[in-house]
Amino acid sequence: MLKLQRLSLAMALKPHRLHSIADTTSQSGPKKARTTTTETSSMKDAFSKYADSLNNLNDKRERVVKASRDITINSKKVIFQVHRISKHNKEEVLQKAEKDLVAVTDQYISRLVRELQGTDFWKLRRAYSPGVQEYVEAATFCKFCRTGTLLNLEEINATLLPLSDPSLEPLQINVLDYLLGLADLTGELMRLAIGRISDGELEFANKICKFVREIYRELTLVVPLMEASNDMKTKMDTMLQSVMKIENACFGVHVRGSEYMPLLGSDDPTSFLLAVPDVEI
Amino acid sequence: MKAAFRSAHSFFRSLNPNPHLTSLLLPLRLTLLTPPSPPSLRPQTFPSLSATLSSASMPGGEPLTPPPLEKQFDDFRAQLEESGTLRERIRAVVMEIESTTRLMHSGLLLVHQSRSTPEVLEKPKGQIGVLKELYNRLAEVVRGSPGQYYRYHGDWRTETQTVVSLLAFIHWLETGTLLLHTEAEEKLGLNDSEFCLDVEDYLVGICFMSNELPRYVVNQVTAGDYDCPRKVLKFLTDLHAAFRMLNLRNDFLRKKFDGMKYDLRRVEEVHYDVKIRGLTANGAPVEDQGPQGPP
Repeated sequence: MLKLQRLSLAMALKPHRLHSIADTTSQSGPKKARTTTTETSSMKDAFSKYADSLNNLNDKRERVVKASRDITINSKKVIFQVHRISKHNKEEVLQKAEKDLVAVTDQYISRLVRELQGTDFWKLRRAYSPGVQEYVEAATFCKFCRTGTLLNLEEINATLLPLSDPSLEPLQINVLDYLLGLADLTGELMRLAIGRISDGELEFANKICKFVREIYRELTLVVPLMEASNDMKTKMDTMLQSVMKIENACFGVHVRGSEYMPLLGSDDPTSFLLAVPDVEI
Repeated sequence: MKAAFRSAHSFFRSLNPNPHLTSLLLPLRLTLLTPPSPPSLRPQTFPSLSATLSSASMPGGEPLTPPPLEKQFDDFRAQLEESGTLRERIRAVVMEIESTTRLMHSGLLLVHQSRSTPEVLEKPKGQIGVLKELYNRLAEVVRGSPGQYYRYHGDWRTETQTVVSLLAFIHWLETGTLLLHTEAEEKLGLNDSEFCLDVEDYLVGICFMSNELPRYVVNQVTAGDYDCPRKVLKFLTDLHAAFRMLNLRNDFLRKKFDGMKYDLRRVEEVHYDVKIRGLTANGAPVEDQGPQGPP
């Protein structure tokens, strides 16, 4: 009789095994029922708190990622706008680009600003970093084309101050994201330089070349100090490639430029590009 | 202008052999000649020289560009060096935390060798005070840069998860209940608002603790405690149910939680083996005497 009872108990265990999770209160004896329910409920209470905080964090992270993506897309548009520059339309192209950049700041960066507070700046950095890098790239790119100088981090951060409520801690771009954005800037400057050379603006190209070299040189000292700098190291390699592409292009023009100068005025820019085969590596 | 400044400077120097007095006098007298500038000669000439050089070589003829560019990067270097030293200080404390947890862990391992629990727990529990002191120091180090807890979080993350798992295991061995997040913070003295115990770290730590339980059950049964599987199963089932309330992302915590069901299954198997052989007292649940009942 006793044995049979045991067997049936064991059988009763089976479905429980399959489901893995079942109502366990039915399993514990009646004597225990009271203490176990209070224990279970305190655990449940605590976990519903954890669930809330995880949900909030995940929702926020999701919103930040979205804002970051919008910033990226629209900053890219600004960069493309700047690339439309040519000898004769500099002013209007840059004006449009700067207007677009202000729109990015007002519409999208401000959304990011509203989400981030206190420890979020570092906690959610991975979520917003790509957008901010792209934004830094666009802002510094505009500034360089306008004045030939580097837009400082302080200056960018100053433009972000009015976006947030003065009583709250403002969003300030951190050094790491700024430097990562700068590293990307050189790629855009490389494209710009090649374009300017084929358009005959050799002085502008030379200026870009000097500027990019200077940035690369400064960064070599800073990069080893950066935390989690693997990302940055690959960027440094690409940057060196960019610098060399610009240098080679400038070299090509310098050495053979005189032969092709007459072509510069002609309406066929490709014939000029053919003269500098080392441009595309 | 520069030449005038230079000659004026040397003129004052020759007049007055006391350089301190000169530097005091100079700004006053030269305001007519030059805009305010450092009174010593060298810093005045060098930057302006390099500025003229580079602006001459710049096709666009930019006015005085290089100094701000260099200056910014110098500032960055200083900032990054500072955070680098902070990181080193953090790592030094974290290394101590790690060696303390190793001590605790090895002490706790005796629990598998059928010693009596209070005796086993004595040493590891003594280390909790050490941990508390170390976390206090860590909080002190990080307090220097407010709002940057998560900048350096990675440096103590895994160690803290281990700490939580050990604390939770000790707590469970003593009380048979789960160590809650606030209780864990309390044990480590982290109730202050800036430096807290990250909830995800806590949860990962709890998952680690669950990994320890199947082995514990097996060894307890071998040592003759046949009621142990029932209690552990109950606890683990509740814990697993509680974890299922969380909406997890596809991250490390999710992976650890997914692993928890294997712990649960293993404990169920042990429980089943014991039960089917009628090894539990009369096959019925007995009065609870804490997880470490007498064999």
